[in-house]
Amino acid sequence: MYETKKDKALIGGGSAIVARGLGKTYRLYDKPIHRLWDLMLPGKPRGKEFWAVRDVYLDIPRGSTVGIIGENGAGKSTLLKLLTGITHPTVGEVHVDGRVASLLELGAGFHPEFSGAENIRLNCSILGMTDEEIAERFERIVEFSELGEFIHRPVNTYSSGMQVRLGFSVATSVDPDILIIDEALAVGDEHFKGKCINRLNEFQEQGKTTLFVSHDMGSVKSMCQQVILMHEGRVLEQGTAEEVADEYLKRAHARGNDRLSSLNRTIDAYPRWGSGEVRTTTVEMFAEGNKPTQTFEPGMPFRVRVGYEVTGDCADPVFGMGLYRSDGTYVNGSNHYWRRDPIEIGPVRNGEKGYVEMAFESLPLLKGQYYLTLFVYDHSKPAPTPVDHREHAAVFEVLDGRQMQHGLLFLPTRWTVARSGQDPRSSQE
Amino acid sequence: MFRYLRTIRDHRQLVADFVRRDLRARYVGSSMGFFWSVVFPIINLIVFTFVFRMILNARWSDFQDGTTVAVIMLMGIVIWSAFAESMSRCTNSLVENSNLIQKVVFPAEVLPTYMVISSLINMLISFPVVLAAVIWLGYVDPITDPAVLAKMAEAGDPGFNLGPSLVVLPLLLLLQGLLTAGLGMFFAAFNLFWRDTFHLMGVALTVWMFATPIFYPALAVERKGFGWLLDLNPMHWLIDSYRRIGLNGQWPEWSRLGMLALVSMLLLHLGSSFFRSQKNRFPDLL
Repeated sequence: MYETKKDKALIGGGSAIVARGLGKTYRLYDKPIHRLWDLMLPGKPRGKEFWAVRDVYLDIPRGSTVGIIGENGAGKSTLLKLLTGITHPTVGEVHVDGRVASLLELGAGFHPEFSGAENIRLNCSILGMTDEEIAERFERIVEFSELGEFIHRPVNTYSSGMQVRLGFSVATSVDPDILIIDEALAVGDEHFKGKCINRLNEFQEQGKTTLFVSHDMGSVKSMCQQVILMHEGRVLEQGTAEEVADEYLKRAHARGNDRLSSLNRTIDAYPRWGSGEVRTTTVEMFAEGNKPTQTFEPGMPFRVRVGYEVTGDCADPVFGMGLYRSDGTYVNGSNHYWRRDPIEIGPVRNGEKGYVEMAFESLPLLKGQYYLTLFVYDHSKPAPTPVDHREHAAVFEVLDGRQMQHGLLFLPTRWTVARSGQDPRSSQE
Repeated sequence: MFRYLRTIRDHRQLVADFVRRDLRARYVGSSMGFFWSVVFPIINLIVFTFVFRMILNARWSDFQDGTTVAVIMLMGIVIWSAFAESMSRCTNSLVENSNLIQKVVFPAEVLPTYMVISSLINMLISFPVVLAAVIWLGYVDPITDPAVLAKMAEAGDPGFNLGPSLVVLPLLLLLQGLLTAGLGMFFAAFNLFWRDTFHLMGVALTVWMFATPIFYPALAVERKGFGWLLDLNPMHWLIDSYRRIGLNGQWPEWSRLGMLALVSMLLLHLGSSFFRSQKNRFPDLL
C-alpha cells in the first residue's frame, strides 16, 4: 500500500498545497447580538473586520517538509485551518492534493468523553474509512501510542502526554498524504520523541508532505528544508532556514526587547534589602554601541551599566553582580574588589552619583532567559554587610537562530575526525 | 433536504457509532443499564396513577378512570420527552462539540442527527411498557361494567385495543425524526448567532408542552374554543396519531397524518438548508 503511494508521489511530482491570494477575515462584534442582526437584517455588516491571514501565496511541493514559524497571533493557526479545510477563506483559494491529517492542538478532534479506542474509530470514520480499514489500523495505532489498557478509558482521564501520544499515533497512521503537526505536540518523553522522529523520517522517505508549525526557529531548522515566516497574517519571508533566520532573529530581537523592557520597568516585585546608604538605580544592558537592549546572541559583547546614588555615608561600598538562568541556576557572580587587580572605592558621601559596569567581551551564554541580581555590600567590616541587595534587578534574553551548541554555555570547541588512511580533519569554533 | 440525507448516508457509519456510543453513555456505570429505559416509564405510570387516581381523582370524561388516564398521559409523555430532549440537545450540539467543529474537518450534520436518532431509539425502548399496559387494561383486565361500556360506545371511545394499525408506527417514528431533525438543525445553527437560544429553548419547550394536550384531553381545548390552536400544533397531530394507533387500535386521521408529513418535510428542508448555508461559518462562529 505504501509502495503505490510512493510511486504516485514520485511520478506525480507537482504541488501538494497551492494557495493563491489567501485571506481570512473575522468579524469582531461589540455586542454578541449584533451578529444576529447581521444574519437577519439587511444593510452593512456591523462589527469590525479583522484580517487573521491575508495575501498568502504558497506552493508547497509534494514530498517536502516545510516549517511555518511566527509569534503568537501571526496567523499560523488560521493559515493551517485554511489549509486543512476546517475554515474557508474569505478571499483567494486553496488547493490541497491528497488526504490531510493534522495534529494542531492538544486533544483536537477527540471527544473527551469517548474512550481512546472510540476516538480512534471516530477519527478514522471522519476521514471516511470503512470498518475493515479501521480494524486494520487499530492495532498499529494502539501499539504505537503505548497506551495499553488506557485505550479503553475516556480521553478526559488522559494526561497531556497520553493525549499527544494518541493524537500523533492516529494522525500518522491514517495514511495521510499531507501531515500537519504543531511542533510543540510532537514531543513527549525522550523515548516517544525518538519514535515520532523516526515516524516523520519515514514519512519524508515515502515522499509525503509534512508541515511543521512552531514559534521557534531552532526546532524547525533540524526538520525542515523550507521555512515560511509569518507576521501579522502575512508571509514575511519564505526560503531555506538559513535565508529566513536573519529576518526571524531581527523580529525576535524587537519582540524580546519590547517584552523585556516593559518587564524590566515593572520588576520591583522581587526582594530588596540592605541598610540603604548607597542605592543602585538604573540598569542598562548593551551589546554593541550605546543603545540599550534586552536581547543578545551568543558570542556578542555584553555590558551592564548600573547607576548608583549615595544617600548616606558608607565606609567601603563594593558593587557586585550575579547572573542567573531563569530556572534559578547560578551562572556567574563577581565584584570589582575581589580581583587580582581590585578597584577600591573607599568612603562615599551623601549626594554622590556614578555608575559601575560589568562586561563580557563575548557572551558565553546559550539560548534562554536570564536575570541579574545586584549587590552593594559594605566591606569595611570583617564580614561584608548588605547595603543594597536587589534580587532579580533585570532580565535579558539570549536568542539563538543557529543553535550550533546546546546547553547553558557557549564554549569554544575543537572537533577532530581521524579516519584510517586520511589526514585528521579539525574544526575549531 | 436531499443533500442533507446524502451527507448522512455518506457518514452513516459515523452516525451509527455516535448513536451506539450515546445510548451506551446514557447508562454507563449504572447496574441496570438499558433496563432504566423501561423502569422510568413504569415509575412515571405509577406516579401518574397515584396522583390522578388517588389524589386528584381526575377524570378526562365521566367514564375514564384514573388508571386509563395515566396510560393515555404516559403515551404523550414518552413521545414528548423524546422530542424535548432532542430539541434541547440539538440546540447545544455545535457548541458542545466545538472541539470537533473547530479542530478537524467534521460533517456537522452528524451531530443533531445522531441526537435525534438516539432519542427515538430510547423512546422505542420504553414503548413496550405502554403497550403492556394497553394489553393489560384492554385484554387481561378489560372493562366489564355495562354502564361504562354504554357511555364509551356513546362517546365513540373504542377503549384500549391493539390492531393492524400498528403497521403505521414506523411511519410515525420517521415523521417524528424528520420533524425533530429539521427544527433541531435550525436551532443548532441559530444558537451560534444568538447563544440565548439555548436558554430560551427550555422555556419554549415547557410552554409548548402545556399547549399540547398531554395532561388534558384535546376535547377540553376544543370545548373552550381553542381548537384552532391544536390545528396549528404538529406535535398534537403526532401525539394524537400515536395514541390512536398505540392505545385504541384505530387508524390515524389520514388528513392529519398527511399534513404532518408535509410539515415535517418542509421543516427538515428549511432547517437543513439554513444549517447548510451557514455550515462553512460554524468554525468561525464558535
